[in-house]
Amino acid sequence: MSTAVLFATTFGVAFVGMFAGAGSLPPAAQQKSETTEVKIDNFSFGPAELKVTVGTTVTWTNHDDIPHTAVSTDKMFKSKVLDTDEKFSFTFSKPGTYEYFCSIHPKMTGKVVVQ
Amino acid sequence: MSVNPFDLKTVVLAKHAQHVVLIHFPIALFMVAVAFDFLAQWAKSRSLAAAAYFNLLLAACFTVPVVATGLAAWQWALEGQKLKGILLMHLVLGCTSAVVIWIVFLIHLRARRHPENSLPTYRLSLEAIAVLLVGVTAHLGGFLSGVNGQG
Repeated sequence: MSTAVLFATTFGVAFVGMFAGAGSLPPAAQQKSETTEVKIDNFSFGPAELKVTVGTTVTWTNHDDIPHTAVSTDKMFKSKVLDTDEKFSFTFSKPGTYEYFCSIHPKMTGKVVVQ
Repeated sequence: MSVNPFDLKTVVLAKHAQHVVLIHFPIALFMVAVAFDFLAQWAKSRSLAAAAYFNLLLAACFTVPVVATGLAAWQWALEGQKLKGILLMHLVLGCTSAVVIWIVFLIHLRARRHPENSLPTYRLSLEAIAVLLVGVTAHLGGFLSGVNGQG
């Protein structure tokens, strides 16, 4: 086998392997996905702390049988009373830490960290 | 993060917590009053009737701060927004219960001021309806606060 054939074979295998491997990269490395939904269930916000980037719209969905609200402590946002399966969305346009609570059940608290 | 139930200041001063604390008094007083009144009717006892009257008096008095704190909670915690569902039912049934408790009390007061007239027997039906109303309202309130059901 000549040197040229050996070189071409090695290069070809490496080339194919490069593209074949791309499909098996871990999902996090391909695209950084952010959770933009907060589920309200069993008298708690989930996740209790959410990290998002500026411009992200966060949607709160009430999966509880009880009405709840999402009200920020600094009055930046305030939902109406959310019955079961109702939603409330807010777009965070400035970085910062936004703490919020349910005004019907003040012990229910959560936090959105905007980076 | 949860509220420490033994931290009195935090618990009592939390928005709308006063309603949740006060509501137990008229419920208990009214239930006991009705029980005494039924017993008084059955046993033909004046002392049981008097016990029923004084419990009713206190129950009726307690409805005032309870309704006031309930309405304040609506205005304060929810900023008076239009209610629907369980919250609306709780509001309507709660106000109706307070009115019926006052009607029952006034029937007893009237009979007490005019001893020549005996208590009308229809009051027992009214009291039974009121107990039902109070029970449903309390159940909804417990459901809202997480005491009944989830939580």
